[in-house]
Amino acid sequence: MDLPSLTSLVIGAAVGIASGGVGAFIILKRMALVGDALSHVALPGIALALFYAIDPFWGVLIFLLAAAVIVWWLEGRTTLPADALVGLLFTTSLAVGVLTIPSDEIIHSLFGGFPTLSPLAFIITTGLAIAAAAMVLGFARQFLFRTITPDLARVHGVGRWFDLLLLALFALIVSLGIKLVGTLLMGALTIIPASIAKNITKTMKAFFTVSTLLGGFISVTGLFIAYAFSFLPGPSIILFGVGLFLISLVLPRRIHS
Amino acid sequence: MMDQNTILEVRDCAVVLDGQRLLSGVSFTVRKGEALAVIGPNGAGKTLLFKALLGLVPYSGTITWRPDLRIGYVPQKFPVDKTMPLTVREFFLLKSKRLWFPDQTFLDHLSHELSLVGLSQEVLERPVGELSGGQLQRLLIGWAMVDHPEVMLFDEPTAGIDVGFEETVYQLLQRLQKERGTTILLISHELNIVYRYADQVLCLNREMLCHGKPREVLHPQDLARLFGESSFYEHQKEAHS
Repeated sequence: MDLPSLTSLVIGAAVGIASGGVGAFIILKRMALVGDALSHVALPGIALALFYAIDPFWGVLIFLLAAAVIVWWLEGRTTLPADALVGLLFTTSLAVGVLTIPSDEIIHSLFGGFPTLSPLAFIITTGLAIAAAAMVLGFARQFLFRTITPDLARVHGVGRWFDLLLLALFALIVSLGIKLVGTLLMGALTIIPASIAKNITKTMKAFFTVSTLLGGFISVTGLFIAYAFSFLPGPSIILFGVGLFLISLVLPRRIHS
Repeated sequence: MMDQNTILEVRDCAVVLDGQRLLSGVSFTVRKGEALAVIGPNGAGKTLLFKALLGLVPYSGTITWRPDLRIGYVPQKFPVDKTMPLTVREFFLLKSKRLWFPDQTFLDHLSHELSLVGLSQEVLERPVGELSGGQLQRLLIGWAMVDHPEVMLFDEPTAGIDVGFEETVYQLLQRLQKERGTTILLISHELNIVYRYADQVLCLNREMLCHGKPREVLHPQDLARLFGESSFYEHQKEAHS
């Protein structure tokens, strides 16, 4: 039996685990749609990187970090319709991206592909994904504090900067996964594992652990499916994840620790 | 300079939000171990004053806390997502440095603090979203005092609590004050509580209307100004009962 390349599997596992971890907080913050829309900003970044003949990852990362700062800034404003602005801004960038990316690149940009990376790029991608996942774990208490009760968090010295850090980590993880899963679907990879975990767990420890492990599992299994049936990896990963989500709806919430 | 016994000094504090002046001219001092009650009608800016004290809303004027003070805050409203996978124990662990692998001394201490607010130990394993309103209120009080803060701010600590427990809460406040020397700032609408427990009272209705010892400053005419003529007789009756 043919197998997807080891490179793809390692990247898939690392990015999947990081997505599951950061997604846990995005779901708890009820920012699933913002997170999803945020990943669309990557497209003009890809276009610009292609134009200047640099690795698209850097274009994506810069655009996503900028978008993360905008979301964070809007969150702090009570007088602006933040959801509408986010929707407008991010779909605009999707439209701009689609028009500016060369047509032979567009499908992979939107829906991902099996990445062909130089050894250095492979090490950087995997290393950054692991580092991002470790940071999410390390700052979990602060992220959770801010999610549950921003006021009490602030009183206990956990300020808004942690919201920005979470969004920045989210932007980094999405940037790392975009080659594999694509800009349209990468947001979903962060949302699906946590949504499943929320359906079946009752404690934070179980929720976070299940979400993180599921991220890796869904991503790697999706890659096998894509390879076996010659599908694009992005849609395969997402559809497999959604299948698990449907199953989780009928499972009882019983995982305690 | 603040003198040694001063915990909090507020000078001419004002809050303007979205162009609206919601609070102005508030000045007072709280000394160590004192209990200060803030009273006033709905929409008077009591909660807003607390938020300014805690640095949660922008304000003008000066608010000076004694440096390195541990503060406990019991908010009036605490929206809980019913589906949040979070146990009471995990909620407490937000205050410890170790969320995933808690240390045993912290956990032992938890059950002690829980018993003070009348919650049993089995509640630790329950999801926060499944608690009743009364249990949640008790939990918030227990949560605020678990690390023995030097100052506690209570925003209507007995709202949504059964009458029997109300008495327990105020006894608890007194106990904190006596045994731990905790300084207490309290928003309350119950004047009998203010008379019995507070050393100082501060009347608010968008501006500071009175400030001092309850028996000295709470004249009927002040209460009338504060709450309006219609509610004045009722409050006077309550105060005397």
